[in-house]
Amino acid sequence: METYEFEGKTTEEAIENASRELNLPVEDLRIDVIEPGSAGIFGLVGSKKAKIRVRVNRLPDIEEGTRLAKETLSNILALIPVEATVRAEQSNGRINLHIEGDRSGLLIGRKGRTLDALQFIVNKIVYKALDKKLNIVLDSENYRQRKKDSLTQLALKMGEKAKKTKKPVTTNLLNPHDRRIIHLALKNDEDLDTKSRGEGLLKKVVIIPKNK
Amino acid sequence: MKDLIAYIAKALVDKPEEVVVTEIEGEQTSVIELKVAKEDLGKVIGKQGRTARAMRTILSAASTKINKRSVLEIIE
Repeated sequence: METYEFEGKTTEEAIENASRELNLPVEDLRIDVIEPGSAGIFGLVGSKKAKIRVRVNRLPDIEEGTRLAKETLSNILALIPVEATVRAEQSNGRINLHIEGDRSGLLIGRKGRTLDALQFIVNKIVYKALDKKLNIVLDSENYRQRKKDSLTQLALKMGEKAKKTKKPVTTNLLNPHDRRIIHLALKNDEDLDTKSRGEGLLKKVVIIPKNK
Repeated sequence: MKDLIAYIAKALVDKPEEVVVTEIEGEQTSVIELKVAKEDLGKVIGKQGRTARAMRTILSAASTKINKRSVLEIIE
């Protein structure tokens, strides 16, 4: 928890200063009085400033981020409008939001484009609000796992082809997350090398058979 | 449709009070016009237009649901 010290002519003033400077309501502050302060004689001689120690009752970023991400996504879904609920969980510092209730695939879209767009927007909004980059992953109908499985299968198949023909095989344009899946799927294959090729967000992965 | 874009845009900009969204309804296609403060233009467009593209994708999913088409125009 963060700790700050503030001064003021009186304890009340010190608390006001703290609230204003930290830009937080008084309820969110835990205040310890270090020096109550005294007005002194006629407010002139021996006057002492009041000193307080303030601890901020703030939720850790990931808790706040999870709450905000869930709220933001729920609001967007309600405006689309689609009847679905959002379940949030954290794993390894990542925030996972599961959309439950939409079985039409509307929120996934062709090649997961709608899900990715929603994910991008939610990440942006949360980043804007908290000024901290969090990793928020959206999923619906277990799409992420299904996509991972099919990309892994594709990688293995293309790897076999590269080995058989002894020629490099190239994937379609993929986003960074999908490319990572391809690289990881073939990481332990000692007969193959993988490289990303291209510019910008979408790149191709080239699967190259090693010469022996 | 209008409210959806307004909600997203307001959450992305520095000056949400200057976000104006108007909807011009056509028989099949609606045009959603988004206007933001000049300084915020980059925020709703994004690097290489990524934010604008994401908003358009979400908008078209929402339109599909009511069997319509919507176009998002960002007004300078």
